[in-house]
Amino acid sequence: MTGEDTPRYTAPADLDGVVAALEGADEGTVLVGGGTMVVPAMTHGHVVPSALVDLGRAGLTGIREEDGATVVGAMTDYASLLAADTDRGPGHPLRLLARAAAGITGGPQIRNRGTLGGSASYANPASDVPGCLVALGARLRLASARGVREVPAQEFFLGAFRTARRPDEVLAELVLPHGDALAWGYVKFKLAESSWPVVTSAAAVLAGGGLRVALGAAADRPVALDVPAPHRGTADPAWRALVADGAARALADRGAAFVDDVLADAHYRAAVTPVIVARAVEGALRGADRQERGRA
Amino acid sequence: MNRIRLNVNGEDREVEVDPRRLLVHAVREEVGLTGTHVGCLTGDCGACTVLVDDRSVKSCSVLAVSADGARLRTIEDLGTEDDLDPVQRAFLEEFAFQCGYCLPGMLLTVRELLDRDPDPGEEDIVQAVSGNLCRCTGYGPILRAVRSAVRATREADRP
Repeated sequence: MTGEDTPRYTAPADLDGVVAALEGADEGTVLVGGGTMVVPAMTHGHVVPSALVDLGRAGLTGIREEDGATVVGAMTDYASLLAADTDRGPGHPLRLLARAAAGITGGPQIRNRGTLGGSASYANPASDVPGCLVALGARLRLASARGVREVPAQEFFLGAFRTARRPDEVLAELVLPHGDALAWGYVKFKLAESSWPVVTSAAAVLAGGGLRVALGAAADRPVALDVPAPHRGTADPAWRALVADGAARALADRGAAFVDDVLADAHYRAAVTPVIVARAVEGALRGADRQERGRA
Repeated sequence: MNRIRLNVNGEDREVEVDPRRLLVHAVREEVGLTGTHVGCLTGDCGACTVLVDDRSVKSCSVLAVSADGARLRTIEDLGTEDDLDPVQRAFLEEFAFQCGYCLPGMLLTVRELLDRDPDPGEEDIVQAVSGNLCRCTGYGPILRAVRSAVRATREADRP
């Protein structure tokens, strides 16, 4: 306990209740999803709420199909994402999210509790979810008393722990379009089991033969870039140089740069990025290859 | 203060908590069951693991108010000195703990694993304990204990 005034606590029973609870909310109003990040942040005084809105009773869970997209409720936990990843093609958006969910740091306790929408809203640059949502071209559905709006993932993440969500809005759903990905690869590079990653990369092999790649943990916000297929293999120095240039340009375009922190300096992150992208691309190429052989 | 109801190890309890109160503190101080340990308070170490509606959670990362109406299972419910849970027996026989601080969380995590999948593979076992930090054993004896608990469960299930 920190001695500040006790925050007002509400746990609305549905989305309308959440929207009503958020009317006129300011920065001090804290939304609690699974709690795995924001509750420890409260314990350590990094977040000091004047009001708490608990989403745990509001529904906002579940996965459904809608006009060429998969729509995931913001309170869907990682364990549910893993359970939902059955009988789907390697290019399905849930396949990438399940790959990321399987590697979430912190064990089954975090997969049981941590949510897709919570991770997006908290916007820790080192989390798996922001980079994956950018790779997927996801749209984030924000609800408030003023209505519902959709924000593309790339515009949602504004910086470390900063998003386009306004204080009176709640992230209700995430829309994952079924794009032209044939298969996904995902690599999370971390130096110890319980550490945050240095760089994450999601990669898709696209129907037209190109590659889409997203980088997480490298900068204060995730970025996506298109990369040509590695015709001489992912170890080809010329291809790796293209990846390195593309990553630097994609970051610069978003006003971002490789970050320095206790895990790695910016120079190291820049140097390791083409290697991690190459590994993610190899995973995606293997997935596409298996798919191709399965058809033959 | 918020009044909340919890069913803890089969017993209905009602406690009053500040909305910022962590579930681990409510379990230890308001409910009075101190087998659940406070470790890092950052969600890393897993010493505070309890089962909420049969799913393992780190109770330092859950507000007590969020658990209103939930069914909790803590280490106190796992077995008795005379009748250990097979997971407890396996950890004892394989010397899978030393200081014991991580043990309540470790045992409940493994219990959840076996309840969900009585025959987990090696990768499942490693994944299951990856959210529980042990700084004594180096994990070798822990992995042996989980495999031994799996064998014991399989043999007990044999008709």
